[in-house]
Amino acid sequence: MPYHEFEVSKCIPERKMHAVVKGPGEDLTDALPKGYLNTIPGTISERGCAYCGAKHVIGTPMKDVIHLSHGPVGCTYDTWQTKRYISDNNNFQLKYTFASDVKEKHIVFGAEKLLKQNILEAFDAFPDIKRMTIYQTCATALIGDDIGAIAEEVMTERPEVDIFVCNSPGFGGPSQSGGHHKINIAWLNQKVGTVEPEITSDYVINYVGEYNIQGDQEVMLDYFKRMGIQVLSTFTGNGTYDSLRGMHRAHLNVLECARSAEYICDELRARYGIPRLDIDGFGHKALGDSLRKIGLFFGIEDRAEAIIAEETARWKPELDWYKERLQGKKVCLWPGGSKLWHWAHAIQEEMGVKVVSVYTKFGHQGDMEKGVSRCGEGALAIDDPNELENQEALLTLKPDVIFTGKRPGEVAKKMRVPYLNAHAYHNGPYKGFEGWVRFARDIYNAVYSPMHQLSAIDISKDDYAIDKGFVTRRMLSDATLSEEAKASPITGYTGPFDPISGLRGKTYPVFERRAATEAAE
Amino acid sequence: MAKKDKKDVARANYPKLYDHDPLADVDDDMKSKVSELETYIMKNCLWQFNSRGWDRRKQNAGILGKTTQLLVGEEVDTSTPLDKCYWVDAVLLARNFRERCAWLSGLGADEIRSVLAKLHARIDWLTIDGSLNEELTVQNY
Amino acid sequence: MNCEVKVKDRIGTINPIFTCQPAGAQYASIGIKDCIGIVHGGQGCVMFVRLLISQHLKESFEIASSSVHEDGAVFGALDRVETAVDVLLSRYPHVKVVPIISTCSTEVIGDDIDGLITKLEEGLLAEKFADREVHLLPIHTPSFVGSMVSGYDVAVRDFVKKFAKKGEPNGKINLITGWVNPGDVKELKHLLAEMGIDATVLFEIESFDSPLMPDGKAVSHGSTTVEDLQATGSAIHTFALNRYEGAKAAQFLEKKFKVPSTIGPTPIGIRNTDALLKKLSAVTGKPIPESLVRERGIALDAIADVAHMFLADKKVAIYGNPDLVIGLAEFCLDLEMRPKLLLLGDDNSGYVDDARIKALQDNVDYPMEIVTNADFWDLEDRLKNKGLELDLILGHSKGRFVSIDYNIPMVRVGFPTYDRAGIFRNPVVGYAGATWLAEQMANALFNDMEVKKNKEWLLNVW
Repeated sequence: MPYHEFEVSKCIPERKMHAVVKGPGEDLTDALPKGYLNTIPGTISERGCAYCGAKHVIGTPMKDVIHLSHGPVGCTYDTWQTKRYISDNNNFQLKYTFASDVKEKHIVFGAEKLLKQNILEAFDAFPDIKRMTIYQTCATALIGDDIGAIAEEVMTERPEVDIFVCNSPGFGGPSQSGGHHKINIAWLNQKVGTVEPEITSDYVINYVGEYNIQGDQEVMLDYFKRMGIQVLSTFTGNGTYDSLRGMHRAHLNVLECARSAEYICDELRARYGIPRLDIDGFGHKALGDSLRKIGLFFGIEDRAEAIIAEETARWKPELDWYKERLQGKKVCLWPGGSKLWHWAHAIQEEMGVKVVSVYTKFGHQGDMEKGVSRCGEGALAIDDPNELENQEALLTLKPDVIFTGKRPGEVAKKMRVPYLNAHAYHNGPYKGFEGWVRFARDIYNAVYSPMHQLSAIDISKDDYAIDKGFVTRRMLSDATLSEEAKASPITGYTGPFDPISGLRGKTYPVFERRAATEAAE
Repeated sequence: MAKKDKKDVARANYPKLYDHDPLADVDDDMKSKVSELETYIMKNCLWQFNSRGWDRRKQNAGILGKTTQLLVGEEVDTSTPLDKCYWVDAVLLARNFRERCAWLSGLGADEIRSVLAKLHARIDWLTIDGSLNEELTVQNY
Repeated sequence: MNCEVKVKDRIGTINPIFTCQPAGAQYASIGIKDCIGIVHGGQGCVMFVRLLISQHLKESFEIASSSVHEDGAVFGALDRVETAVDVLLSRYPHVKVVPIISTCSTEVIGDDIDGLITKLEEGLLAEKFADREVHLLPIHTPSFVGSMVSGYDVAVRDFVKKFAKKGEPNGKINLITGWVNPGDVKELKHLLAEMGIDATVLFEIESFDSPLMPDGKAVSHGSTTVEDLQATGSAIHTFALNRYEGAKAAQFLEKKFKVPSTIGPTPIGIRNTDALLKKLSAVTGKPIPESLVRERGIALDAIADVAHMFLADKKVAIYGNPDLVIGLAEFCLDLEMRPKLLLLGDDNSGYVDDARIKALQDNVDYPMEIVTNADFWDLEDRLKNKGLELDLILGHSKGRFVSIDYNIPMVRVGFPTYDRAGIFRNPVVGYAGATWLAEQMANALFNDMEVKKNKEWLLNVW
């Protein structure tokens, strides 16, 4: 039986088509969970709304922008300071959020005047910021405010400012994914092609579907810069508004999170002929191959190889140290969308853990195709998970650790399963060669937490050795290892708490432009 | 009804090539070879999973076609950016295949072509013609 | 007059201090046992509020959504609520109380949740769940009215309205805590126990400081029962500690069931705690016991160590829920500090008439501003552009970057306080709360002296 029926969901039989156990010898044509369908009300699903998909996931990581939500304050407040998408301009986009503060009288009489005054006030409060994104919300979508017209009006009055309008109310789709789609297409239609970027390299890419969680983008940017590649724009983590208006001039779109940003890559391919190259920034092999591909595309594979050699030499031994100690540990990989496939195979291969379940809150069937392919036999794949199903799965699967969101993480904690934040990370970044070791370190720290071991003991009943004043992680993780492994001089990750700040002031080699070389010849 | 019509229109962009698993018709040796290559692709690659059926058809043909050319030593067309992009995925695929599948070096060009043709058919089957993904026929991105 | 009350002079909001009404209703709902609310609106209205509360308490709990999508927004979404109630009750056999909490979208489209509840009671509940005790109630919390504070107020009233009954006088008092933390409820219950007063507490959320047990079966939930709520109509008196978070329920009980009520004081600081105990004593006839005299003494002893030496004349800004802010300001004045700026984050026009605010206006002898409908920009703009100088900030975590960027020490207090460990566990009310607050403030200042090397040697002897 490939489709999996949860005991707790027997009364909602349609749920049966949303979970699949990968059976022996079965492939994607035997079973695939349904995806991206309307949520069943009252299931206590973990999904968010289309507004948050647009504003919170994709819009807000743009760093030099006033992010103004047109609606009551709640939408803004609730999605503010709940993510870790940092930027190199002192985190303006994390710190400031704007709401037009729609009240009852505006619902009755319209809120366009209110919006206009808001826009002007916001620009006046931050005279150095000249770019703005306005997000529609449920309330202002329903009263039919013409946000685009107001934005045009302001842009006419103040030619130095530019405003992007994103009409993606919370109800616009089954989940946040509806908002990803809307903002992709809106940006492409409204803004791409409105700025001609300065091209400074022979090798020009857009880095798409990357949100700079804990510095992921900056890690990858470091590699690209070391290769002499110009990253024209990042969609959208640590990205600037105007650089993203020039996306049409890139030679290649390098795509990380296809779930949230494949739409714009597909359109750029269709409209401008820019190829789409899907990559994985997670995992040493996948990342290495990704850099090689980009290098090959531009005829500079040697530069990629040099980075891979250097980084692998530095970090692989530490990764292997963790792998030896995490071998066979069971993992529930329960993220939002893309990480289920970014991580599923790579963590098994390179950290030795076994993925016993994947889920996706807002993924589509395409994400499940990737995720299920990358899992081993017996893995339970769940679309649009809900509270009771998750608890049932945890009881059945008994994972050693779970990667999920903050609140579901609290549920797992009570069930004595340690959790790592799959969305915001515990101690990231997790991308890059070093980042991948940081991820392994966080898994190891969770699995072998002495406190976690203590929580299993019922002091009123259980007999346990009280002869020790402490236990170290190593005493737990190395107990069954060979003498040789135990003797390893490595003690785990040796990088700093903050590996990102140091990248910001770094200088990079200057590569001669091909055009210049050719002209000289 | 209207919805079904749309699906048919989208379908017309990439006519169905296979109505059953192409591996059902081959001998065990071929099956095991193709499966090995297929497993590598499904575990490590993403190019076969573009969101729409017509794109998958192009991706599979572009990349597996060029991979075949690379494996048999033919010249590969990289004149357009799209061709070049297929080619880089093909290069990595060919390299990884050679590294993992020692048996490849024992095959002649025609044998390689025939294994890769079956692989292509199988990937098309898994990702397009036999796929249960209902979004492949959505008309827009 | 030194103290000025004004409304924010901008129309929009830059960094809001409060979220919207449904969040308040959701926070109230988790205090009730066997209760899972259904928020009627988009999924974000639940998902993010659960995240917010979960970040604050470091716990999980259940709230459901009617998951309104495009078609519902266009054609009406009552069918989504019908399904939600059915699905929820079918899968959660213990659930007895299901508030249907409205949002901006479903109020704008005009979904008649009151009518639907009648229909469900006669249909679904009578037919499919006839052997179950199930109570449905509407809570109207459009996001474009009031704030999370009024949402909480409305929700408490609506729960009381739904359940309160007039029975034999039960000799108990009702204690409506307002929007507080588990640590506050624990402290309030402690004070009542010392006084020997039997009370119905709305809401008993102290169990949200819940254990991690070897069997992995512990769950966090509120403990106020349907029976408790029913009993509120038979109480001898209602104490609503916070004017803006619970007074509506007290007024309802007074009007409908003739249960006399006392609004306030918010028992923050020694003086307000004294006042509460005196009032409790007057209503119940129970004397204030020696044990509380001693606790009060311990608090005063601790506070004396820090007040006039370290806290005196320190300039402080306070933001957050209105009763909390006012209570903290009053306590700060007792501690000889100078609250310079109070920010109340919604457009409630009643704040100006609040007797406590009038008292501040009448008695403060230095320039002080109280801003209503305020946002964080009212704080930051004053620091950045208008010369406001502060020694300390009191408020919740959403204002953390003001503290960080302007190098002003901050004591986390209120909701939410996700960026410090364990804040929810400690009370700010009662004598214990007074001690905790004074010591937290002192320690924050000490730490700041050391970080900035500003007379850091002072504490060589203390």
